[in-house]
Amino acid sequence: MDGDNHEKVLAMTANDQAVLDVAEMSPKIANWSRTFDILIVIVAAFLIWAVSHIGFLLLGGDWDFFIDWKDRQYWVLITPVVTLMMAAAFQAIFWHLFRLPFGATASVLLFLLGVWIVRYHSWQGLAFFPISLVVPATCLMGALALDAILVLTRSWLVTAVFGGTLFGLMFFPSNWIYLAPYFQPVEHMGQMTSLADLIGYTFPRSGTPEYIRIIERGTLRTFQDSAMWVSAFFAAFLCIFTYMIFWWIGIKACTIKYIAIGSKFKDAYAANVNAGGKAA
Amino acid sequence: MSLLFRKMILAVLAGAALLLSVLPQPAIAHGERATEPYIRTRTIHWFDVTWSTDKMKVNDTVTVQGKFRLMTDWPDAVSKPDLVFLSNGSPGASLTRVESYINGMPAQQSTKNLEIGRDYDFKLVMKGREPGKWHLHPVMNIYGAGAIVGPGGWVTVTGNAADFKAPVTTMHGTKIDDLQTFGVARVQMWQAGYALIAVAWLLWWLRRPLLISRWRVLEKGREDLLVTRTDDKVAAGLLVLVLLVVIVGYTKIKAEFPQLVPLQGGSLYTPPLQEAPNAVAIKLKRAEYDVPGRSMRLNIEMTNNTDQPLSVGEFTTANLRFINKKLPAAVAAIDPTYPQDLIPGNGLIVDGSAPLAPGETRLVMLEATDAAWELERLVSFLSNVDSRTGGLIFFYDPKGNRYISEVYGAILPVFKKTI
Repeated sequence: MDGDNHEKVLAMTANDQAVLDVAEMSPKIANWSRTFDILIVIVAAFLIWAVSHIGFLLLGGDWDFFIDWKDRQYWVLITPVVTLMMAAAFQAIFWHLFRLPFGATASVLLFLLGVWIVRYHSWQGLAFFPISLVVPATCLMGALALDAILVLTRSWLVTAVFGGTLFGLMFFPSNWIYLAPYFQPVEHMGQMTSLADLIGYTFPRSGTPEYIRIIERGTLRTFQDSAMWVSAFFAAFLCIFTYMIFWWIGIKACTIKYIAIGSKFKDAYAANVNAGGKAA
Repeated sequence: MSLLFRKMILAVLAGAALLLSVLPQPAIAHGERATEPYIRTRTIHWFDVTWSTDKMKVNDTVTVQGKFRLMTDWPDAVSKPDLVFLSNGSPGASLTRVESYINGMPAQQSTKNLEIGRDYDFKLVMKGREPGKWHLHPVMNIYGAGAIVGPGGWVTVTGNAADFKAPVTTMHGTKIDDLQTFGVARVQMWQAGYALIAVAWLLWWLRRPLLISRWRVLEKGREDLLVTRTDDKVAAGLLVLVLLVVIVGYTKIKAEFPQLVPLQGGSLYTPPLQEAPNAVAIKLKRAEYDVPGRSMRLNIEMTNNTDQPLSVGEFTTANLRFINKKLPAAVAAIDPTYPQDLIPGNGLIVDGSAPLAPGETRLVMLEATDAAWELERLVSFLSNVDSRTGGLIFFYDPKGNRYISEVYGAILPVFKKTI
């Protein structure tokens, strides 16, 4: 193989050239392969985006939709666990087939991009909701940690234990950095409330009464101000097992399984070939 | 048809579809007619509802207030009002909510244990945000039952949406110029920063030969070429960076906002309004709905328990107000802001004009005839498992004092008058 030609085509490193050499790709084939890469990456991006987005909408939607759903019990627990499902599955697929450790990051990043488009187009554009009411959270820092740990350990099991833990644990602090101001106390109609509550009250959702919020209503009182961290640690614990399950699903989704055919099919197949037909 | 022409048509259709999906299409109706009639006639009856104005500018307020009665004949299939939330029906956040009260108690959160058979008053203060003509209803959400929508009045908001502001001052004294935009820039800045790191990580891998070549190398067992020592170092650096950003960022925000509060999730209790004496005892002897005549006829035994002669002035159900136009006090009680489409023109026909004397018991026939029964989709009791109806009857004494009685019972669909 001609390394110079490869370099002209892809501006590659020595390692990239070695990859192409081992893959037995001529410069021409490498060029076509790169075109194929680009096309598949574009298509795959939309697929990952859609699957990650729909998966979350179905299982964790409201906690991400509204600022006055971001409580210290369910939001901290449910959001990372649900987000991790698709992130783990896509990480498994890309790692298993190509040893590409970016499935989790791609899933969460594309989901975040989709969320912001929907926030501006649908929530603000169609329903007049201000963005402050519908600011999303993200698990992006956890996803980056998850991918990095997979690279460092090359092990899905160790990634599940340490990466899953970090994914669940980092969700709350990495989002609190910018969401904390929404929980400043404010007096309204003689009652103390949070700015997040007030934003939800001020910009009404006609079909969403206050009681429908699934938020902490005093059940974590034992933990006082540490309630968020209790939920975060529980989320971390659940993320370990969520990761394992969805890693397995991801592996299954990209594994080709050949099914043995019966004698009837074999006979029919042979008859078809003998009659001049082409084998399917 | 030429290929070019076909392509042009397809392109136009695709463009139109894109435009339809991108351009905002505000909702106008709120499904008030979609609720089953047995819910609308036998759960909550709104009355004395007024709108302080029907025209206002952006940042001006409109107050909707009135009363509601929780009907004694509450349907079995509808959850009891053990947990409710007073809200408004309007398109999205075209109007913002400033204050809301039930019996003078703040209703920012849900209210519990409302009592069936009793009256409550309510008040909603709304502020104009988006210019347009908006339908504004009071709405009572009942846990397990859904929204029960009150009468809707049109409110026109003029001005410029960009002028809208929702300022607030926190309990620590921090002034916030506008709740609409508060905190958004901070969120976007941080998430953009996170995204930059993520994009850099993706590009680190995407820049290389990817799918087929990596797959073939993996098949040949040369994994060492796919994830190298340099990748390990980059991944380790990434992990440290991520942890540093989160730990430092979290520590700084904790220092910046040391006193925060969780979302408020408690519910409130408010006692009902003082119970009025049972001025007129009501027994519904027979009720029928004349399908072709679009007329509801109620044969009612009424007993006047007061010391004043009383006349029937109004029958109200499902926000429709059938007024006895022969009674000046009943006509005078119509607030000019009440939606005219909910006051059927034929009014209420009461057989016999003589008032009910003190202590008298008499059978009285009420007839409420109007196409509104059909327009408001109130006749599906024809196919209900529970063919009952209900409403409120307003009586007036000679001094104009009003007395309210509930009426409820079985109703028969008929195609020919039987009473």
